[in-house]
Amino acid sequence: MSLLERLFGGHFGDREFARLWTTGGGHPHLDACATCRARFESFDQWVLGIGDVLRADADAALPTERVASQQAQIARRLETLEHPARVIAFPKAARAVINGHSHVRRWVTVAAAAGLIAGVGLGQVLDIHRTVERTSRVSAPVTHISAATAARATTVKPVALAADDDFLSDAGAFSRPRVSSALLPLEDMTPHAGDPVEGRR
Amino acid sequence: MSGTSAALTTAREADAVAARTVKTFQANGQHAEARERFAELVARHQRRANRIAYHYLREAADADEAVQDAFVKAFSHLSTFREELPFDVWFTRILINGCLDRIKARTRRERWLVPMGRITAPRTENAPAERDLADRTPSAAASPEDALLSRERRQQIALALARLPERQRAVFVLSHVEGCTSREVSALTGLNESTVRVHLFRAIRKLRSLLSTDAPLEQPAQLKGKRRVTS
Repeated sequence: MSLLERLFGGHFGDREFARLWTTGGGHPHLDACATCRARFESFDQWVLGIGDVLRADADAALPTERVASQQAQIARRLETLEHPARVIAFPKAARAVINGHSHVRRWVTVAAAAGLIAGVGLGQVLDIHRTVERTSRVSAPVTHISAATAARATTVKPVALAADDDFLSDAGAFSRPRVSSALLPLEDMTPHAGDPVEGRR
Repeated sequence: MSGTSAALTTAREADAVAARTVKTFQANGQHAEARERFAELVARHQRRANRIAYHYLREAADADEAVQDAFVKAFSHLSTFREELPFDVWFTRILINGCLDRIKARTRRERWLVPMGRITAPRTENAPAERDLADRTPSAAASPEDALLSRERRQQIALALARLPERQRAVFVLSHVEGCTSREVSALTGLNESTVRVHLFRAIRKLRSLLSTDAPLEQPAQLKGKRRVTS
């Protein structure tokens, strides 16, 4: 049923009531039709009733005591606005990580790693060199002693005993303390200096 | 000029004076005096602000926080308040923006969380509101039967209101529950005045159709002769 039909013959529906209620204006039909006027009154009360229920609902959700505590809380928060919270600085180590100098740190790390590798490498090389040197120092008296024993063997001893004597003298030479080549002249000058040590053994 | 309009004008003048005084105190560095004067504005607008926030957020705790935030923000930004605009309009706009931000944050949060209620029963849009309403005690001196009916009616209306689209609900609450004029609702929501009327019309129609199948609402005696404040 159209609005015109309702105006001339029928009655207003909810749509017209809602429109009239929203615009807040009256209508000639309401003045003429007592039924529609009464229904509009009822509609009006219904809408107002909803508002009242919703207001009561909100007031019940936030009762007076809660509103009072809220007011106190607002006052406290406004007071703290004047005294903002103190910001505690991060420790220096943490700041160094985040302050944008990471490329410097990276270079330092790389240099330290390179230094470590170089040090280890150099240490290895020096160790090898020292070992070689030591080996050469030890091998020199052995050759000297073995030459002397060879000369002795050829002069006096029979063939069967010569091998045993060589073995024993070689063993004795090896059991003697190693003497550096630089000290050999001194050793020659004092041939019996090692006797007490030998006797103790 | 009707009595309501005269009262509103007087209240707004008082607000303007209070806001101006607070601004002056703030400018002079008299913070304690500024706070004290601002407390008057808080007391005057707190109840209304709570209602608006509650109808937006449908949770008392959220509404409480939103209102607190809005007052603190209003105090700290009072220097930007233009005195040609009513304080309540300016403040309500701050409040509504805060509520909308909270709704957005809540929606984002809920996208990642599965509420416990969904596991046992299908969740409706206003499940917390329903629970709140059911727990609330009705007015004093009502018989158990009346109390039950009153609670049911509240539930029905809250459900129907929750089913409205967000803009329609906001316009209905502001213009009808808080008694704002279409012009004020327009200033508060940023919508055109005619758009506000359209939203209000649609909200009423939808509420009517949603509640038409239910028993008609009982009309309280104090509502007789009460009229909506219009522009």
